[in-house]
Amino acid sequence: MIDPEAINRLKEIVGKDRCYDSPEQLACYCYDAYFEEAMPDLVLFPCTRDEVSGILKICSAHKIPVTARGAGTSVCGASIPARGGVVLCFSKMNRILEINTKDRYVIVEPGVVNADLQKALAPFGFFYPPDPGSMAVSTIGGNVAQNAGGPRCLKYGVTVDYILGMEVVLASGKVVRFGSRNVKDVTGYRLSSLFCGSEGTLGMVTSVILKVLPLPESVSTLLVTFDDLDNTAKAVADIIGAGILPVALELMDRTTIRTIEAKAHIGLPVDAEGTLLIEVDGAKEACEKEIKKITEKLGANGAVSIEIAKTDEERDKLWQARRSAYGVFAKLSPSLYTEDIVVPASKIPEMTRMIVDIADKYKLIVGVMAHAGDGNIHPMIPADKTDKEEWGRVKKAFDEIMAAAASLNGTLSGEHGIGLAKAEYLPLVMSEDAIAFMGVIKKAVDPDGILNPGKFV
Amino acid sequence: MADSYGQNCNRCGFCLSVCPTYLAQGTEDASPRARIQLIDFFSDHRVGSSEKLKEIISKCLMCGNCASICPSGINHPERYVRMREKMIRDHGDMPGIKSLVYLLAKESRIRMAAGAAKIARKIVPQVFAEKYRLGSIALKQFPVLNKVPFRAAARDAMTHKPGHKSKAASGLKYGRVAYFTGCATNYLFDDTGFSVLNILRHMGVEVIIPETQTCCGTPMLFHGGREKVKSNVNNNLACLDAQGIDAVIVDCPTCGAALKNDYPALAKEFGLDQDAANRVAGKVVDISSFIMAHESPENFPQNDEMIRVTYHQPCHQRNHMPTPGSAQALLNALKGVEYTQALDMSSCCGGGGTFFYEYPEVSRGIAKKKVANAKATGADFWVTDCPVCRINLGGYLDESAGLTVVHPACVAARFLPDLKGRTRQFN
Repeated sequence: MIDPEAINRLKEIVGKDRCYDSPEQLACYCYDAYFEEAMPDLVLFPCTRDEVSGILKICSAHKIPVTARGAGTSVCGASIPARGGVVLCFSKMNRILEINTKDRYVIVEPGVVNADLQKALAPFGFFYPPDPGSMAVSTIGGNVAQNAGGPRCLKYGVTVDYILGMEVVLASGKVVRFGSRNVKDVTGYRLSSLFCGSEGTLGMVTSVILKVLPLPESVSTLLVTFDDLDNTAKAVADIIGAGILPVALELMDRTTIRTIEAKAHIGLPVDAEGTLLIEVDGAKEACEKEIKKITEKLGANGAVSIEIAKTDEERDKLWQARRSAYGVFAKLSPSLYTEDIVVPASKIPEMTRMIVDIADKYKLIVGVMAHAGDGNIHPMIPADKTDKEEWGRVKKAFDEIMAAAASLNGTLSGEHGIGLAKAEYLPLVMSEDAIAFMGVIKKAVDPDGILNPGKFV
Repeated sequence: MADSYGQNCNRCGFCLSVCPTYLAQGTEDASPRARIQLIDFFSDHRVGSSEKLKEIISKCLMCGNCASICPSGINHPERYVRMREKMIRDHGDMPGIKSLVYLLAKESRIRMAAGAAKIARKIVPQVFAEKYRLGSIALKQFPVLNKVPFRAAARDAMTHKPGHKSKAASGLKYGRVAYFTGCATNYLFDDTGFSVLNILRHMGVEVIIPETQTCCGTPMLFHGGREKVKSNVNNNLACLDAQGIDAVIVDCPTCGAALKNDYPALAKEFGLDQDAANRVAGKVVDISSFIMAHESPENFPQNDEMIRVTYHQPCHQRNHMPTPGSAQALLNALKGVEYTQALDMSSCCGGGGTFFYEYPEVSRGIAKKKVANAKATGADFWVTDCPVCRINLGGYLDESAGLTVVHPACVAARFLPDLKGRTRQFN
């Protein structure tokens, strides 16, 4: 229970309209896109950095846990208030403060929705590359906290690659600024990179300077099928080896294709062992050249069929299978568990076979999708979380999938983060010393451990 | 807790990106995901019934955007309706809404209330009309009731009294249709009704306006009046499932969605004639789609004057009707009409049946953006199929706005001869 005196002072900072304390309202903030729940004691919606600072001063004086939240789309439970306390929801702190395409940066508040930033940039002919699956609703603050990725990050890099600077409120309420508006800047430690991906355990980002890029002139898309998974991976390696970095290189395995085709009837080749959705962007001539080269590499690796989109409509059609995958699997059973492991790209066939074997062992269905260019694999296991026995098997399967990824020099998460979901697996891929080092940093900036407690650090 | 389709919310949050109340408020409790979680928590006894819970569940425009985007295939509207029933049972409803549900359950009551309202309006001094609001809408901006209910007026105007058929223009081209007018056309917007009638006659279709039709029942269903809907469904099925009817024409997407999607399930639930419900559902078509399927709108008579129009797509047209783009196709095909798409053409207007009356502040916030974007197109007419959207959006446009909200049928029928063979001047 929070000291009532502290609650009153917190309420005074934001006013009663931006403070939730009824059980019904609090229940709306006990979950995110992960499976667990924990009730907060209070939800506050700050609108300014000074409010955030004031709130943290009170929380640290009373040792009240504080968990940051944007749109609540974390799939690892990063925004679940595991130890109760205050949920600091940034959804109303959502102004785009500056768009400066001449100097290639924007300054935004944390509550700005990724898609809204894209919309604001489009008229200038610019875009912000990180494109997580949740981008229609997830906030830049959440994207920064989780170091979000997305399909086109193969070519463009992930969130951390676009952070030039930020303003952060520390646990004590102190406001600090790192970085600058400059695309090149090696002045001191790159502290914004430390805060990016810290999942709200080190501080609260109250504004961020992001690098933006000019929109590519054109996009070309192909859909390719293979009758052998190894060939699929070899083709991926050959394409990248030839010096081509596609904007997306999405792999779907046999089960994924068959399941989508059975439900959505879009004419996918159900006897394919692997499909690749490949997209390149850039100047029109460059795209044409790259497509030609890619087609050669695909042919040399035994591609069975190649479809090239000539119009936007055809492009949409090729993406349809990939886009409908999540929905098709989500409808197979009451719940859908999706993971986010990464292995070196050459290990994708091996990892895929291991995943399928593990699922078979536990009598589960698994669809494997991967951002094949960077080895980021999303196995999807549909199951019923209210069926304890089945859910137990799902848990065991993921234990083994994590261990398998580690055994192939892979890692736990490519773009979703650790949160509540994967904290227990950290020792598989991080040494004791490395974990202890994170603890040292955490202790230095948040000595009382009030920021997002109960998570991985 | 799985819904009636066996589906569970995976909490992905995709629905937040399309929910008009979440986008307006920016708080989770205004989102479809929260409504579904709270319905589940309620059935697991983790939250109790309360006024606050009722508010969270009902502060929703029932637009159906959430269900259309949901990867898990949750039937949100159905689950909301069931939960609203429980909440209204426990905590009642606003008096204004309760009387509405009472009225809509019987045609005679609607008729009487419309009459009384007309008298009341005459005796309300202008100074009050200027000052008072019905929810978010100033009373003076509220539409005036039809002088005579449309169905009665149409009956009088039609040449063939028995069966109230219209006279086919020049031989039957497409056969015979039943026109389901809905309450709004009957009591508020007879311009829509006469336009539909003139179009159908111009197309050479025999029109029957069944006399015993009544409210489709959707407003009652949304406000906990499920048991009262049975007689409405029964009445409407009885008069629409007639021999020789080739199509059931609707001008309102909500009525259309009820007849097309809800009646078969409701008939089953109430033990009514399911075959009849399925037959009717199969024949329901909105007037714009009917024109596009059977006529070349570019041949509709025109004069030289060019009008500029923009369009607001009603949520129930987009989410629940089979041809959501029919009105735009019609506007594009009509000669003398220059159609410009507004920036947020397909986002909700904030009207939501009775939402503008229950939650005026939220509603106003949503509507204002729409109004600004529509004005930016430079259009003279703002076309929309749904009468509630028309009331709501019209509520923000006085004479100085230079923008009038009309039904697509009114645009199409601008220069068609009326029942007496005269060519009406559009507005």
